[in-house]
Amino acid sequence: MKRQDLRHTTERNVFFWGWVLILPTMVGLIILNIYPMIKTVYQSFCKTGDFGRGNIFIGTANYAKLFSDPEVWQATLNTFKYMVVEVPFSVIIALVLAVLLNRNMVGKSVYRTIFFLPMVAAPAAIAMVWRWLFNSQFGLINNMFHISTHWISDPAIAVYSIAIIGIWSDIGYNMILFLAGLQEVPKEYYEAASIDGTNGFQKFHYITVPMISPTIFFVLVTRIIAAMQVFDLIYMIMDRSNPALSKTQSLVYLFYQYSFVQKDFGYGSTIVVLLLLLIMVITVIQVFAQKKWVHYN
Amino acid sequence: MTKHNRINSAIIHIILIVLSLTMLVPFLWMFLTSFKTIAESTQVDPFVVFPQRWNADAYTNVLNNMNFLLLYKNTILMIFFRIVCAVVTSSMAGYAFGRLKFRGAGFAFSLVLFQMMIPSQIFIIPQYQMISKLRLPNTTFALVFPGLVSAFGTFLMRQAYKVLPKDLEEAARLDGLSIGKTFVLVMAPLTKSCTIALSIFTAVFAYKELMWPMIVNTDKNSLVLASALAKMQGQYTSHYPELMAASLIACVPMIILYLVFQKQFVEGIATSGVKF
Amino acid sequence: MNRKKVMSLLCVSLLAMTVVFANGTAEKGTTATESKAPEKPLSVMIWDSNQEPGIRKLIDDFTAKTGITAEIQVVNWDNYWTLLSAGAEGGALPDVFWMHSNESQRYMSNNLLLDLTQRIKTSKEVNPDDYPADILGLYTYNGKYYAVPKDIDTIALWYNKKLFDEAGVAYPNADWTWDDLYNAAKKLTKADGSVYGFAKKNTGNQDGWYNLIYDGNGYVISRDKKKSGMDDPKTIEAMGFMGKLINENLMPSPQVMTETGEDVLLGSGKIAMTTQGSWMLAAFRDNEYTLANCDVAPLPKNAKTGRSASIYNGLGWAVSAKTSRPDDAWKLVEYFGSKEAQLKQAQLGITMSAYTGTSDAWKNSVPQFNLQAYLDMQKDMVIRPYSKNTVKWENAINDCMLKAWTKEMTMEEACKEAAKQMNAILAEE
Repeated sequence: MKRQDLRHTTERNVFFWGWVLILPTMVGLIILNIYPMIKTVYQSFCKTGDFGRGNIFIGTANYAKLFSDPEVWQATLNTFKYMVVEVPFSVIIALVLAVLLNRNMVGKSVYRTIFFLPMVAAPAAIAMVWRWLFNSQFGLINNMFHISTHWISDPAIAVYSIAIIGIWSDIGYNMILFLAGLQEVPKEYYEAASIDGTNGFQKFHYITVPMISPTIFFVLVTRIIAAMQVFDLIYMIMDRSNPALSKTQSLVYLFYQYSFVQKDFGYGSTIVVLLLLLIMVITVIQVFAQKKWVHYN
Repeated sequence: MTKHNRINSAIIHIILIVLSLTMLVPFLWMFLTSFKTIAESTQVDPFVVFPQRWNADAYTNVLNNMNFLLLYKNTILMIFFRIVCAVVTSSMAGYAFGRLKFRGAGFAFSLVLFQMMIPSQIFIIPQYQMISKLRLPNTTFALVFPGLVSAFGTFLMRQAYKVLPKDLEEAARLDGLSIGKTFVLVMAPLTKSCTIALSIFTAVFAYKELMWPMIVNTDKNSLVLASALAKMQGQYTSHYPELMAASLIACVPMIILYLVFQKQFVEGIATSGVKF
Repeated sequence: MNRKKVMSLLCVSLLAMTVVFANGTAEKGTTATESKAPEKPLSVMIWDSNQEPGIRKLIDDFTAKTGITAEIQVVNWDNYWTLLSAGAEGGALPDVFWMHSNESQRYMSNNLLLDLTQRIKTSKEVNPDDYPADILGLYTYNGKYYAVPKDIDTIALWYNKKLFDEAGVAYPNADWTWDDLYNAAKKLTKADGSVYGFAKKNTGNQDGWYNLIYDGNGYVISRDKKKSGMDDPKTIEAMGFMGKLINENLMPSPQVMTETGEDVLLGSGKIAMTTQGSWMLAAFRDNEYTLANCDVAPLPKNAKTGRSASIYNGLGWAVSAKTSRPDDAWKLVEYFGSKEAQLKQAQLGITMSAYTGTSDAWKNSVPQFNLQAYLDMQKDMVIRPYSKNTVKWENAINDCMLKAWTKEMTMEEACKEAAKQMNAILAEE
């Protein structure tokens, strides 16, 4: 009897504490974020008037237009292309760097700071510098290697050039997360493995990766979401006169054009809903897949 | 060191140096440009790498015309409070999601993930209207507003709490500590590294954010660094040397912040309390 | 971390929170005590920080006269309209702000701007006859005025004297036709691609090919704003000139022009000529290369029609319909539009003022350049084509033009496609 009571109160206790602890975050999210999102979804079913007035409910007409809009599907493809290149490279390079810089080595603080720097560079400066680096006639890269690639004006490769800038910006972010995760791996595991005669790569494969798999999972999920939402880079580097724009613009870029430039919030909201659904599907797949490869204690 | 180790070490250093240079090239360009004349900074053929004369006019103009101390203060206040809010709310929620099983947790956490998937431009106008109704534009609170809670932080802390071993927690509960006390006194200190990482990210995201601060704090006494830099870009053309000079001056507090935090990071190993 | 530390952390946070809130209200408090007048300053919002110092001077003069204070806020172009939209939806617009033809229709038709008709009628400083009718027209709706004209801009031809000298070609002058420009471009373009005779990208409509269209007596949008003129035979004929420049490679490739701005190309000696709006004066003045080597001439004329038109546009000073101080706000706007302030604005060399006859002062602000060229273009001005959804169809046209620039379509095809899309968008208005 006593045991049942204890378990019952414990469950209620846990329920109470659980909700108390998450309450501030949930309240904040609902007011600040979920409510605006609901408004957006509603707008996607309307032909929006100016300044939020005169919204006419038109049912799924925007969605019908969306499905037959080749620009939207091209933007979806562009977004995927960006994501598929940017995420793996930035994650793998950052992981290697984190492992290298986690040991006792000369200058590790200096290196860590250098890799962090891109995170604090002003976006305007980043845009200017990379536009110079990538300039097809006068830029550093083409002049140094004597090639004439149209990095940001060739429709076939511009999106990948933007991905390169993305990788450059994000390595620092990923590296910090991996370093944090690596702190939690006890040294004893490595020492025991050394005694057993394993080499560096094996240690990496059998100890490091599984031990920080929760961190890797986190980085993958958040970076994929962020990559699907790419906007600033494209907006700063390319404009409407760029022949490569249609093969580079992302879904958020398109949404921004419709909602904020052309003031067509209805269609813009529809694009957001599409993006959201795509991200949800990818994230759900990742969440289910984590059971296969992520090791929690 | 054996010869093998020394070669390994050398190769690693070479790789690191090459990568570091690619990280640094843009900053070098910014630095060089800030000393050029306008013509030199935009000239394309040939691209001017080193200024003919190292003139510091850009710096003097920028320092005279922009009140950097005020900008630093506003930006740092915004960053500080965002960090406090993010760390406190995310640790609490992260612990609950990561270690407690209770009804509704799954649904609540999926809302957290959901928020991260929404492009942030959606929030700008509704949040601006909320601040407007509260009559609080041009305040530090307005700058902090979107960051009062953090879905990203919640997710990060959840992962951090999930990997902690059960024994300390169970011991604390058996000792009669309530869940709340267990969280504050026992579990939270174990997530020092991740908390610091979260602080760094919150700081960087807040520092870079442009659209929100630009719209909500337009009064020139309540500007932040990002808005001041954006304003320097003219509609048709910009004064590039001054823009570069200002951007470099703006980075400085962030770099100092990082250097300070970085030390804490490293010391996390010694004090993380994870022992077997 | 022990209990004491937790408690002290909590106390510090609470204290900090109160400081934040106090800070918030304190900031407003100090603004109130700083102003000399009992009320707080009028809020004035603009998007160009280059013009801020000049407008600050105008406001100081105004305050000296009337005792009413005003504060300028600069929000960059990208976010300016978002902020105004948010304010319009939520109810709090600045007292006084700039209005642009892209958005004026939208704001006027939604009753967001204060009706200034009566005030203008009784005003001594602001008389509709003193401003170009089209500019006032941008800010007129249902016969009522909603803004005071601030400035105008025209288009002219910039050229690199050094390159002309090297190639032995005579400088452009007021008698040039577009064919003269074509011939000069041919001589100036070097075979190795190091110099091109001319440059204008597909999005250069107001400061580029719109002017060609009107020179040829074509049109972009009909007077009743219901029909596109992009497929009018005269328009297509005029655009054929751009097609010629593109096909004979007298301009850099669209890739180069998108990566490197026309002003940068001019300032690097890569192009010999380009058409630019008067707003670019500051950029050319501050660049030592262009200051020394470049000059400006009026736009060439169409050989057949003899016309040398210039597209023009102008900003307006508007007052929020819901401002709590309409009379004070009007006084400020009235001052901005007065001859005195318009003269001062032109003298500062930032922009040509809207008040007829005040722009001579602007011409003298940079003696190295023949800025008279811009003033001469005022003889035949065409208001920049606009409607309620200007940006939407402009983007559509520019996208079609891009295909012509990249030679994926002929110019004629591009024009016809542009007209089709534009008509569809106009039909929705």
